[in-house]
Amino acid sequence: MLEKFFNPRSVAIIGATVKEGKVGRVIVENFKKRFPGKIFPVNPKYEEVLGLKCYKSVKDIPEPVDLVVIVVPAPVVPTVLREAGEKGVKAAIIISGGFRETGTEEGRRLEEEVARIAREYGIRVIGPNCLGVYDAWSGVDTFFLPDEKMRRPPRGPISFVSQSGAFASALLDWMAYYNIGVSKAISYGNKIDVDDVDLLSYLEKDESTRLIIMYIEAIKPGRGRLFMETARRVAASKPIVVYKAGKTSRGGKAAASHTAALAGNYNVYRAAFKQSGIIEAESFDEIMDLSKVLLSQPLMRGRRVYVVTDAGGVGVMLTDALTREGFEMPTTPPELKEELRSILPPHCIVENPIDLTGDADDERYRVVLERLLPKSYVDAVIVVALPQIPGMSFRLVDYIHDLWSRYRKPLLAISIGSEEAVKFKEALEAKGIPVYESPERAARALKALYIYSQYKIRSGAEK
Amino acid sequence: MSAPRDIIQRALSEGRRKLLEHEALEIIRLYGAPVAEAALAKTPEEAGELAAKIGFPVVLKVVSPDISHKSDVGGVVIGVRSREEAVEKAKQMLATVSERAHGARITGILVQKMAPPGLEVIVGGLRDAVFGPVVMFGLGGIFVEVLKDVSFRVAPITIEDAYEMMSEIKAAKLLEGYRGSPPVDKESIAKVILAAARLLEENPEIESLDLNPVIAYPDKALVVDARVILRK
Repeated sequence: MLEKFFNPRSVAIIGATVKEGKVGRVIVENFKKRFPGKIFPVNPKYEEVLGLKCYKSVKDIPEPVDLVVIVVPAPVVPTVLREAGEKGVKAAIIISGGFRETGTEEGRRLEEEVARIAREYGIRVIGPNCLGVYDAWSGVDTFFLPDEKMRRPPRGPISFVSQSGAFASALLDWMAYYNIGVSKAISYGNKIDVDDVDLLSYLEKDESTRLIIMYIEAIKPGRGRLFMETARRVAASKPIVVYKAGKTSRGGKAAASHTAALAGNYNVYRAAFKQSGIIEAESFDEIMDLSKVLLSQPLMRGRRVYVVTDAGGVGVMLTDALTREGFEMPTTPPELKEELRSILPPHCIVENPIDLTGDADDERYRVVLERLLPKSYVDAVIVVALPQIPGMSFRLVDYIHDLWSRYRKPLLAISIGSEEAVKFKEALEAKGIPVYESPERAARALKALYIYSQYKIRSGAEK
Repeated sequence: MSAPRDIIQRALSEGRRKLLEHEALEIIRLYGAPVAEAALAKTPEEAGELAAKIGFPVVLKVVSPDISHKSDVGGVVIGVRSREEAVEKAKQMLATVSERAHGARITGILVQKMAPPGLEVIVGGLRDAVFGPVVMFGLGGIFVEVLKDVSFRVAPITIEDAYEMMSEIKAAKLLEGYRGSPPVDKESIAKVILAAARLLEENPEIESLDLNPVIAYPDKALVVDARVILRK
């Protein structure tokens, strides 16, 4: 139903302009660079925009138009939307601001008028007051931020949906910088029509999306249950990571009952997320921390974690962090102790954490992981590999990756330090092993994987 | 007694936004929540009779659509131990209330079996603008008032959800018993939570409810006070 927003054959940009630095120009430039379909600039002032024939009205375009992008000032939006409706257009992204978000009577009235026209002509609308759609696969890109200011990430498996445009563009830019692949990004602004529920349903069917990130301020009144129902279904096949903004309670308001005063807004959202299999990121850092583990790791079947480290101190920190998150760290059974003793120097510690100590080398990690990963009492392994020690090289990356691929159990790594640590992290992550810069962040990420795995196992999506 | 629909319709037809306490207790009982035994008396003499039937000690509470803080106007008497005392205390209570809450309409006197001390918990419910019916669980007193240690679920819920709500609060260990006391009857509390969820689900006229306190014991839980608010 929303297909025309993401895979249109033709697009009209209403409010296209030649003026440097203007939204109407950046969007035409974006489409020219990456969109293979037909592009029709619309603006009565021009014959031509950036080498493309420009039309006075969308109605003058001699061919069918799948999608219109509207960037004209708010008071003109109803007129151009009506023209699009008469032309038979079924999808509109309204970038323009100046509607209900202004808090003015005029803004509210305009927004209602736009909604009415959309309903009358059966046009689906994203926006107004938004950045619209960035689709790394189809080349649809209504983010009006020029390439040199906001880099575009490569094609990849993550899609995200954001009420805030600024957050969406910052996240895209950030993901581009870290080379994290994106499928689709949608900023829906005032959501007079297309909302979280519609987008979740669409992304569920989108084959290039494997994980969905959502930034939510508020769900539309009355849509909460449908949102939960949809999320429950989608989460059974694709993880959903939500960041909820506006967490502070409005409990100060006079409430008719005790319960209402305590509920605030956030507590109810939290419960709803939990009931729907949604993973909540509690901070900005967590959004990507959790996403990368959910994207890359197999399901975690139980809560027993083993730690293999070259740094005793980090092993202890990690033990604290894992215990706080509710994980169990099994003690090493006698037969494994014996096995490990026979292959490790006597000064290594074969409890859990297994401490390979500062004179560890790649080989030592390999032989231990090889014995540890297949054990039935190991549900996940965290490898602490501080690269400052002399015996470690990049061969360890291949060792870890080979063993992880062979045994298919959740495996995370921790690497702390400067250039060498960053390089090590990049090498491991390129092979699908998520790496964290602190024990606490690794523990939180593993917890998210555990919760999601339990949801998926319970929902029967995976046995 | 009447069905839930009748209780709500009667309140609405009388222009009330709040159920009277005996109605609130009855409606939650009809949804399967264990409720402290109670009955409504029209006169002090009837209060004596009902008290004798229920068994002592009892609590007497004034029931009035015009009074929301009963104890502030002398509308609650606890620890009544005989029929004669019930009649006498009921008379005194009505006199004090009519003095302190002048002109308040008096529906009657709620005679309620006095619940022995136990672990006080709170079950609540409200209708959220986004998610619809929502239920809440927490421990009474400072846990709710100061620490706001509560958990929520969007209805409808299952019994597993109710158990999860109990285990989610920070003070969950208190439900397991402490200082030698045995664990409380969680199944009974779960019934109260489920009743609150269903009550909201099936009666769109209800805006919110507070069951506070619900007193939990090793072998049961009892709703002692109930407040049900209807929508404007």
